[in-house]
Amino acid sequence: MLTRIKGGRVIDPASGRDGVGDVWMRNGRIVDTPPGGRADETHDATGKIVMAGAIDTHSHIAGFNVNTARLLLPEQHRAAAPRPAATPLANAGWSTAWTGCRFAEMGYTTVVEPAVSPHHALHAHLELADIPIIDKAMLVVLGNDDFLLGLMRQGESGAAVRDYVAWTLEASQALGIKVVNAGAATAFKSNVREFSLDDVVPHYGVSSRQIVKTLQHAVHELGVPHPLHVHCNNLGIAGNVETAIATIAAAEGLPLHLAHLQFYGYGKEGPRKFSSAAAKLAAAVNAAKNVTVDVGQVMFGQTVTVSLDVMRQFNARNGASPKKFVIFDGDANGSGIVPYNYRESDFYNAVQWAVGLELFLLIDDPAQVFFTTDHPNGAPFTTYPDLFALLMSRDVRAQWIAKLPPDAMAVTTLPSITREYSLNEIATMTRAAPAKLLGLKDRGHLAAGAVADVAVHEDLQDRAAMFRGAALVFKDGELVVRDGAVTHYRYGRALTVAPGHDSAIDRRMRDYYDQRYGLSEDLFKVPEAAIGRAEPFERVPCAG
Amino acid sequence: MTGAWIEGKPAALAAAAAEAARLIAASRLPVIAGLGTDIAGARAAIALAERVRGVIDHMHSDALMRDLAVMRESGIMVTTPNEARARGDVLLLVGPGLTEAWPGLETRLLAKPLAPEIGPSARRIVWLCPGRDGLKAENIRIAGRDPRDLPVLLAALRARVGGRAAGKVSLSGKALDALAAELKAAKFGVAVWSAAALGELAIEMLCGLVRDLNAGTRFTGLPLVPGDNAAGVQQASGWMTGFPVRTGFGRGYPEHDPWRFDAKRLAESGEADCLVYISAFERTVTPVYDPALTTIALCGPDTSERDHAQVRIAVGRPARDHDAVTHSPETGTLVYRAASHPGDAISVADAIALIAARLPDAGAAPC
Repeated sequence: MLTRIKGGRVIDPASGRDGVGDVWMRNGRIVDTPPGGRADETHDATGKIVMAGAIDTHSHIAGFNVNTARLLLPEQHRAAAPRPAATPLANAGWSTAWTGCRFAEMGYTTVVEPAVSPHHALHAHLELADIPIIDKAMLVVLGNDDFLLGLMRQGESGAAVRDYVAWTLEASQALGIKVVNAGAATAFKSNVREFSLDDVVPHYGVSSRQIVKTLQHAVHELGVPHPLHVHCNNLGIAGNVETAIATIAAAEGLPLHLAHLQFYGYGKEGPRKFSSAAAKLAAAVNAAKNVTVDVGQVMFGQTVTVSLDVMRQFNARNGASPKKFVIFDGDANGSGIVPYNYRESDFYNAVQWAVGLELFLLIDDPAQVFFTTDHPNGAPFTTYPDLFALLMSRDVRAQWIAKLPPDAMAVTTLPSITREYSLNEIATMTRAAPAKLLGLKDRGHLAAGAVADVAVHEDLQDRAAMFRGAALVFKDGELVVRDGAVTHYRYGRALTVAPGHDSAIDRRMRDYYDQRYGLSEDLFKVPEAAIGRAEPFERVPCAG
Repeated sequence: MTGAWIEGKPAALAAAAAEAARLIAASRLPVIAGLGTDIAGARAAIALAERVRGVIDHMHSDALMRDLAVMRESGIMVTTPNEARARGDVLLLVGPGLTEAWPGLETRLLAKPLAPEIGPSARRIVWLCPGRDGLKAENIRIAGRDPRDLPVLLAALRARVGGRAAGKVSLSGKALDALAAELKAAKFGVAVWSAAALGELAIEMLCGLVRDLNAGTRFTGLPLVPGDNAAGVQQASGWMTGFPVRTGFGRGYPEHDPWRFDAKRLAESGEADCLVYISAFERTVTPVYDPALTTIALCGPDTSERDHAQVRIAVGRPARDHDAVTHSPETGTLVYRAASHPGDAISVADAIALIAARLPDAGAAPC
């Protein structure tokens, strides 16, 4: 079937296109305008904005920790509206169905769950498979695991580490590797309560820096498109800007992605010894073109923090609101679930909000900074429309700033920033750049051959309203959202990589699991047959 | 064994599914209970309940709810069987029912040496109030006996750990202080309990004790989960509905209430007028909450002739008769296992699909 989206303003930074025109789709792919072609179906987009489907690089949407948060907080996500006939459970707050519908309605068609412990990979994939409409992927977390730390302790070769990383990616069906406060979850099991870049994991004798470097090199050398995704040490602590800058320097020119950078943008200035250091941090990012970052913007309201940074979550437990938490010492990782309420009247929360916006606005290249709230850690992803409005209008920002504590704004540069994001920059940040960062060559753009994931938005003055509900969304060429609401379900795929490894690692992992756990390593693998849907995975090629 | 019965008489599978669909459709409030099934079966059952505005509950919800209540009232610190095995230098076993909840307790945990990163130390094991459960092993010390003492005993222990005075309990003051000191000296202590055998008060006090111990050292908990994939079903319910089991869809959206949506209460009170009982793991007789209650049983592996259900469908045992994902007590995670004896026994998911396809309302199923 040939489909035509007619007469919209097509914004496609990947191909340099920004002007009124058509987008054509056939069999789930974008196609060139067929000579004399007659569309089987035409959608009028006159006066509307046409972009590729948006890609989210970092939202905690599935898996054991997210699900534990659901069970911990039944009061936070009550459903209120009855079942829509065609989309059951779409109104069940925070459910898998709800997640897929809300993302699709905002024009998102691919979302990455960024923090899955390898032993929970199957659980995470089962949840991802239940999220309708969108495609998804997961990053699997290494760096606190006995096997890797043991390899490093024994001074084993880079080849052994690469094989292990490749084996883990394949066993977990993941798209990339993340490291979370490298070494800290293991150190925490030995009762260490603070952990910085050059601190050493007890027993293993390796530093956090060494772990990050080892994984960064392994991922790079394997040709995995997405560079190592780093959650730095000292999250949330005053003065931690130095940790983030030191981590950027440690990248030494090789690709590295720093997650939720807002949580590392804090100085120690001002009367409360807590201030924005975003300008300094943005300058460091601007100077390091090998580094990409996502922001992890804070928005005000009740949320819950879900993190594999168990040491940080443990240290934050007394700030829980409501007063309850889950701290989990997991296999080769940890995690913590701590509910939190970001309040407009709170000095620290207001500074955090400003730091995120400063990073967005002071990092020059929209292809280097990614649009996230670290859902749900900074805010639920449902706040994205308001965040788009804040980036696109200094007037909207001024209205928000006027409601916040002046002493908080005084320790930031936000009130002085005049930059406003254009739609083209928004499209770069949420479409072209994330596709490139993840190695998804056929996504994030509208050139012939791309997956026909297309979002059509009204061109409204009220940018929040514009992004809250897309006029039309196509997934694989199929119309799934009309007038801001999902019309019916279809199920996407999980994107994976398989860089390949020497078969010696298979035997070695078998022996290791037998010796350490007395279990077969097969128990932790994710075979296609376990997912319960046809073609649940789509392979993304690695370089070389 | 495969088969289907209507009113005790052998029937074709399709006819049994049609009759089950007719009974469910005629019901004002169907309850889908038992839920002893794999993840695919749980997903199908939850989707069915959502569609027919019924209720979901698990046969082991009482135990699940006790741990859950403590978690969502005050919070918990927990670990995995693997980490307990590798690092648990002090194991505090609490109350009875542990070997019943986890037959591998001794061979997979207690008898295993610690991992090298703990350093050269032997595992120390104290069993508090084991009742009649206590394993007789050289390295296990018993403290207290009667599980009914546990809430008070744990409160006294928690007080002594925090340096506060404690009243008279079934352990001597000296023994209590020695135990408190031993727990505080742990490098990575692990408290092990089974909610099937403990009251909520004891669990809450134990989880509070664990939290307090972390002021100075590392200590965590290992709650043993009930069988029949209760923990797996709980997870599937969580991601599909946002809520644990004991959730109802009567208003067209999920609502969770541990009292309102207790299947036994609904069945005995007459609020529910149709029971769909699922138990695929063990030989089961469907519980008779009320002899007059319309009952549909999806049971296996040897569904009983004595079962009173109007419709019975024999289903295969997950991971034996068909491939399955279930929660594994060994790993604490969801795992996939291929069928060990693949046969033609129908799975719960497939049985529910047959029934759902015969429901009159053509509303879209969620998955």
